[in-house]
Amino acid sequence: MVSLPERPGITALVTLGRRLTGGMLTAVAAVTLTFFALRLAAGDPVASLLSQGLTTPEQAEALRRSLGYHLPLLQQYLHFLNNLARGDLGVSLYSGQSVSAIIGSQLASTLQLATLSLAIALPLGILLGSVSSWKTRPAAQRTASTLSGLATSLPVATTGVISLLIVGLLAGGQARGAQLWLPALVLGFAASGPFARAVHSGLESSLSSPYILAAKARGLQRGRRIYWHALRPALPAAIALIALEAAFLFAGAVVTETVFSRPGLGRTLVRSILQADFPVAQGIVALAALLYVGSQVVADGLGWMLDPRLRDRG
Amino acid sequence: MNYRKRPAARHWILTCALLILGACATDPSGERELTYGLTLSPTGIDPHINASVELGIPLSSVYDTLVFQNSDSGEFVPGLATEWSISSDGLTYTFTLRDDVLFHDGTRFDAEAVKANISYALDPDHRSQKAASMLGPLSAVEVLGPHEVAFRMDRPYAPLLDSLSQVYLGMASPSALDTWGPVDYQFNQVGTGPFRFVEYLPNDRLVLERNPDYAWAPEIYRRDAPGIDRITFRFFEDPATRALALESGQVDIIGELPHHQADRLAGTAEFTVDPVHIPGQPLQFIFNTERTPTSDASVRQALVLGVDRARIADTVFGEYSPVADGLLSARTSGFAPDASFPDYDPELAAELLEAAGWVFPEGGSTRRRENDELMLDLVVPPWGSNPEVGQLVAAAWGNLGAEVALTVAPGFGPLNEARADGDYNAIGMNSFGTDPDLLRPFYDSDGFFNWSGYRDPELDTILEAAAESFESPEQREQLYREFAERVRDEWLILPVRDYVNLVGSSQRVEGLRFSPQGWFPYLNDLELQP
Amino acid sequence: MTRRLAILWLAAIIGIALLAPLLSPHPPDQSLFEPLTPPGKGLPLGADALGRDFLARMMIGARLSLLLTGLAVAVTLILGGLLGFSAAIVGGRYETAVNWLSNVLLAIPGLLLAMLFVAAWGPGIAAVILAVGIGFAPSFGRVTRTIVNKLMGEGYVMAAQASGGNNLWITSRHLLPNSLPQLTSYAGTYFAWTFLAVTTLTFLGLAGDPSIPEWGALLNSSRSHLQSAPWLAAAPALAISLTVLAVHAIAGKEPQR
Repeated sequence: MVSLPERPGITALVTLGRRLTGGMLTAVAAVTLTFFALRLAAGDPVASLLSQGLTTPEQAEALRRSLGYHLPLLQQYLHFLNNLARGDLGVSLYSGQSVSAIIGSQLASTLQLATLSLAIALPLGILLGSVSSWKTRPAAQRTASTLSGLATSLPVATTGVISLLIVGLLAGGQARGAQLWLPALVLGFAASGPFARAVHSGLESSLSSPYILAAKARGLQRGRRIYWHALRPALPAAIALIALEAAFLFAGAVVTETVFSRPGLGRTLVRSILQADFPVAQGIVALAALLYVGSQVVADGLGWMLDPRLRDRG
Repeated sequence: MNYRKRPAARHWILTCALLILGACATDPSGERELTYGLTLSPTGIDPHINASVELGIPLSSVYDTLVFQNSDSGEFVPGLATEWSISSDGLTYTFTLRDDVLFHDGTRFDAEAVKANISYALDPDHRSQKAASMLGPLSAVEVLGPHEVAFRMDRPYAPLLDSLSQVYLGMASPSALDTWGPVDYQFNQVGTGPFRFVEYLPNDRLVLERNPDYAWAPEIYRRDAPGIDRITFRFFEDPATRALALESGQVDIIGELPHHQADRLAGTAEFTVDPVHIPGQPLQFIFNTERTPTSDASVRQALVLGVDRARIADTVFGEYSPVADGLLSARTSGFAPDASFPDYDPELAAELLEAAGWVFPEGGSTRRRENDELMLDLVVPPWGSNPEVGQLVAAAWGNLGAEVALTVAPGFGPLNEARADGDYNAIGMNSFGTDPDLLRPFYDSDGFFNWSGYRDPELDTILEAAAESFESPEQREQLYREFAERVRDEWLILPVRDYVNLVGSSQRVEGLRFSPQGWFPYLNDLELQP
Repeated sequence: MTRRLAILWLAAIIGIALLAPLLSPHPPDQSLFEPLTPPGKGLPLGADALGRDFLARMMIGARLSLLLTGLAVAVTLILGGLLGFSAAIVGGRYETAVNWLSNVLLAIPGLLLAMLFVAAWGPGIAAVILAVGIGFAPSFGRVTRTIVNKLMGEGYVMAAQASGGNNLWITSRHLLPNSLPQLTSYAGTYFAWTFLAVTTLTFLGLAGDPSIPEWGALLNSSRSHLQSAPWLAAAPALAISLTVLAVHAIAGKEPQR
């Protein structure tokens, strides 16, 4: 029997607090990793400007001082954290523009793609997950099963290119990839996998649960109404996944933007890596790490609030 | 029965719909707007300091120059200077300036402004990559009157007018230069040209707006004032995206189309492709004479003969681009047809390598000399299809029995870094321009772009003499011919193809013309079909 | 995909990878043909934009993709295995520390973590191998730790400990042999994930040398010619997809991500 949702008590709040702190610590650690990895590997970024002949040794030294590179690494790290808290991510070594400005200008495009993809992924995933548990229609079940398997395993790069080929063929040679719907469809399809899986496993367990058997015993017909009953407990897990999908979508956006030549943070990140523009790369990866950890905390919180059964796993 | 619907999904769909609507930009009615595709976002876009030609595409219309060059006749015509005279010894150029010109910030253009601009370009702290060297042996700029200025040279310098006709020596507002300084000025440029600089977001966009006060258009412009209100430049570094950008309407004009895409577009009614020849140096690889094995001239010769340059030019660039046969592209003044590079001769190449001691060991595919293998490092920039050419050249050298490591430097900075480290046997770099003096930075012993490491005081003398012969074009040509022969005989470069820029434009664009340098469009003359 | 098909496909790919230089009549790096020749006589996959035999390039690409993936998986298995084993056996603070470090690494989405490593090392083949290998190590380490921990609770292990055997002996005699079957069942899935990650990174252009015909890189360069030469994109796209699906079909369990 599923119990009625309880009011969060003190212990529950403590758990939540603990989770939050844990999440924040992990986030800070991830950002720290990013900082040290790039700073240690990069050596002296100003040296590259010097070798380009773009600064005199005196100017390079001045630049180095102004950027704080002459300080011990630990102090630089503290400055970095301080600035990060204030939203200052440094400046691009390439163009001198502030990293937060660069991220800000590219964010909208990636956000559009991610949002639309999510809007496609959730209903698609729920549909695929549901149908793949539909034992009375084995053909449909197999199809849905296969599709959700494809969604999780196939790389976005290949589905993206294949979809461009197909659209090109159908549209008679003119592939207008600049539009949003095709990349969102491709990324949404890839992102629907986890949803489908969560719904499928949730359904499998709840379809055989006493709850459903009791409902059937009360005379409810088979078919869709049973389905709704069974689906309901499976949904919170899926919805909690939305928050986790955020990170998946960000990584997926990197590839999708390249395949469909869309502007956005993904393309900016690839370019910054190729150009050794460390502050930009660092800023984007740090942002992604914060987003991921944040979404995990949100996901935990959501699942916890929506499904009392999850609370037991303090 | 109270079962929860899926609020999340519904909300998401609504959010998406709103986002999509918002994403469709609305065009302010009445404004004639155009989008132009650039192909790379340069490290810096201050024309006095940076050397990239990409910056010149928008900025040639933000600045006016003292003189302009007529594409057809090669003659120099008045710009901000109404007339000029050259002293008989070639050491003094006196310019009379217009008195009715205002900068975009409202300040007046005068002789002091000219002097300030030249000082800015020559300031050693600013580390100008091109503008400074274009001024050659300039010793001083003298203000003779509010609208009269003299350029005093240490030696005669034939290329001066050509230099003064290019965007790198365009006239900027001295007060803007002062206010912003060399680091920030590039984001706040102020000139006198037909378009005003609005904003520049690196890797995102650069925006220009019509200058309503423009009343001093030079005679080479067909229109007296701009026909477009607003031009937005966007960046398309990935060649795969350029034709798509044009076809989908993201841009109205875009350059450097890969030739397959250009072929396809040229066949349609909606788009036009203009092949624009670019004078200057061809796409080339410069050999490092300070590193084994390319320190040996006969090895360099073998590496040149062992590459089927004509075939590579054909494969990578199609029919649009002729193979390069010299230090300069065939259409550049100063090109010496007699000093052309020989055709593909793999047998002779093999013989030369054997004679130099590089032989195949028993059953091996890489040549050896004593205990060393024939290893070559080829470093190429990412633009202009250099990576593709690099792959084919590497394969050809592999056939000769060398082990080749190909690296694509992601930008000019890393390219220059690789050069500074010296870890290359051949490196791709070239410069563009109409005056053959552009060769000087590459071949002069102290030249900024002398990446071959070859220093010969005799070559320096020839280059100087050629630069000084301001009175006799025939003498200049003769000197450059001699120069070309000597460079060819030292096998300092592997020339591949003469640059042709394939520019695609949509039907609604009219009046697209380019300056003699080939790269820079006269944005002033553009019009949109209604 | 059925297991039989999967085995057939993988056998074919491995065979091609091993025999590539013997199988193709033309060298993969020489421009011998008209660029963008469609598939036809003598050129089953036509020629690429630089006039090179595309089938030859795909075959060398098979070898490269499998090699890179294999090396990266080796890094994952060794590094992750070492971490997981040691954490389970030593336990205590060390195990907590390893656990915490894994959490931190897993806090950054996998692809981005790999890109971070490539950013630090600079683009190149070695960077891609190490980045992917290290990127998956925490996950595999966690799997190993769980398995070994469970084993340590088994009767015979506790008996061995009680009779005074030291850790190393217990590991080699009991833990290793008994954990291997389970671990190898995961190895297949990691191979699929690694293959995907490697081809994605090379697709993004992070491998440095553009002439390397690894499948992800081939997929990337096919984008310029989607309309004029769709086979240049279809071949690597299908090859990568089928390989990933085949490995998943054969592989055993999937660990919790």
